Amino acid sequence: MNTPLRSEAQRRADEIAIFQVELERLDSEGVLHLDPAQQQALREHHAALLASFAGRFDIDRDAQARQLSLGMRVASFLGALALAASVFFLFYQFWGNFDETAQVAILLGAALASLGLTVWIQTRDASGYFTKLAAMVAFACFVLNLTMLGQIFNITPTDRALLPWAALALLLAYACDLRLLLAAGICCVVAYVAARVGEWGGIYWLHFGERPENFFPVAALLFAVPALLAHRRLSGFAAIYRIFGLLSLLLPMLVLGHWGYGSYLANYDIEARSIEGAYELAGFVASALAIWIGARRQWPDMVNTGITFFVIFLYTKFFDWWWEIMPKYLFFLVLGLAAILILLVLKRLRRVGHGATEAAP
Amino acid sequence: MKLTPWKVLAAGAALILLANAVALVGVYLNRSGEADSRMTLSQRELSMPWRGGMVRENSGLALALNWRVIETSTGEYFGSGFGANGGTPDWLDESRMAALGFDTAAVAADQAERRRFERQLPREVLLVLELGGPAWQRALERTRQNVARHEAALLANADSKEFAAKAKRAQEQLKREENANSRLFAIDAGLDRAALRAKYPDRGRYLIVKATLRPRTVTRDKQTRVSGYLSALAVSQINVPHALRPALEPALRSQRRTTDEPGARFEATIAFGQRLEPWIEAVAVAR
Repeated sequence: MNTPLRSEAQRRADEIAIFQVELERLDSEGVLHLDPAQQQALREHHAALLASFAGRFDIDRDAQARQLSLGMRVASFLGALALAASVFFLFYQFWGNFDETAQVAILLGAALASLGLTVWIQTRDASGYFTKLAAMVAFACFVLNLTMLGQIFNITPTDRALLPWAALALLLAYACDLRLLLAAGICCVVAYVAARVGEWGGIYWLHFGERPENFFPVAALLFAVPALLAHRRLSGFAAIYRIFGLLSLLLPMLVLGHWGYGSYLANYDIEARSIEGAYELAGFVASALAIWIGARRQWPDMVNTGITFFVIFLYTKFFDWWWEIMPKYLFFLVLGLAAILILLVLKRLRRVGHGATEAAP
Repeated sequence: MKLTPWKVLAAGAALILLANAVALVGVYLNRSGEADSRMTLSQRELSMPWRGGMVRENSGLALALNWRVIETSTGEYFGSGFGANGGTPDWLDESRMAALGFDTAAVAADQAERRRFERQLPREVLLVLELGGPAWQRALERTRQNVARHEAALLANADSKEFAAKAKRAQEQLKREENANSRLFAIDAGLDRAALRAKYPDRGRYLIVKATLRPRTVTRDKQTRVSGYLSALAVSQINVPHALRPALEPALRSQRRTTDEPGARFEATIAFGQRLEPWIEAVAVAR
């Protein structure tokens, strides 16, 4: 049997808790009754499993532990960001006091040492929170390393630096089961691919953001990753790819829906207004599709992101049409009614989804 | 594949070492062989960058390269002085912009075409900077003519406070131009480095640097012409090596530069290497 990751162990523990509650209910309703030997065997099996998970992964075994661990997740996220910033400013404060050889040695040493520390902590940290802190510091040290080399030796800034940063972030994310590092790595990939696409069009790479369509290829890439690579053992990884894929698709559509001049299409004598209209429509269709696909595949991340963007597209459209001409009470009433309509549609969609699940063999 | 701690450590360390090696080999290649250009710049062309906000905590020391363009469209305040890098130079015309890769077709046709031209995004170009050459002489001459014009106007209107103030400002501008403003002017741009170097062979007077160029139209006297806005250099600040800091830093910190005063007087030898990346070779502070 493969050694499970912390997220797998947590999922199994949650499923055991739900199973136990349901088993008791079935027993009290007289639907299913296990004999004492079976009950004993089941209890021992679950207890052994949970003890083993708790020993290795510091999982949440009840609701109270789950609430506390949510707080710990928030604290470790904020702590990781703060420690990364601290490393950056620490070096900034003192680097001028050393000669170039020492500066390079410190930068390289900090990057390697923080990586080593991360790996060492990972082998000892059952909770994963301290690993996350160390991994974020290791990533920050490596970003600082290459950035400062550029500053020390006056190297021309290049988008190629995003590649090793992405590689290290993804390595740590997959090795330590860290979604924060996965998000950092994906951000680097998004920026790199968009910069490359822009540069193929002759744009200086730092200006890639001025043509939002540069992000569409990376959106396709991000959707393809969880479709091609199974992430069964890494909880939430596929969802993060899909969320960033949707952000890379829908955010540019939202921008272009209000700024047609920012589109490549404006080079082909197409009116900016027409481009904006087309992207508004594309935004509605894409976010509705995301909701539909998410509901069918049972991807709540995709449904929620799709709903968020659908509502933003809808509300910005309402604002364009009616903010100036409507009394404000009526404008907000329309927004409220639109929200109710969306709720009714989603409720119906959920019922259809339930029906499909029940009908499935 | 299972990622054991040792594999993660090995892969991560290899990645970090490789990335550092690539960067440092690039530095070595840039500095090996004969420098593409090497010139001695003074406090007029080099200044301490802004150090407010969080940058205040930066213990490093860098010098920003001050360079200028001559713009007739800006009237008598042509050729921006200290602290204003970039602009829309007169020599950047339609044929030059087309040669630099911008689509200039039909720009003159109508407003929509002009907008389409200006919508094109910035490109990286090779910029030629000239030190203390004809461009600077032209700027100096125009400033002197400006002074003469304002003094003549003051003579004709001896009681006018407004003319007196204008004449005083013109005098101050001349003083800055003679003593403080950068003598480094952008005079040409291209995409072919060898062709530019063949055209400007004096490596002690002409720097070739990477810069960003954005298409722009300039309207003057109801005539619109194609031009471009030269902005940031790829490397706009040059780090002062640790060994050279003791000579330069006290002077820089004690005598701050202002618009009228050039601050501490010093000279620095700057080399631009094979990859057009600069470094400071020597500094000398005037006592």
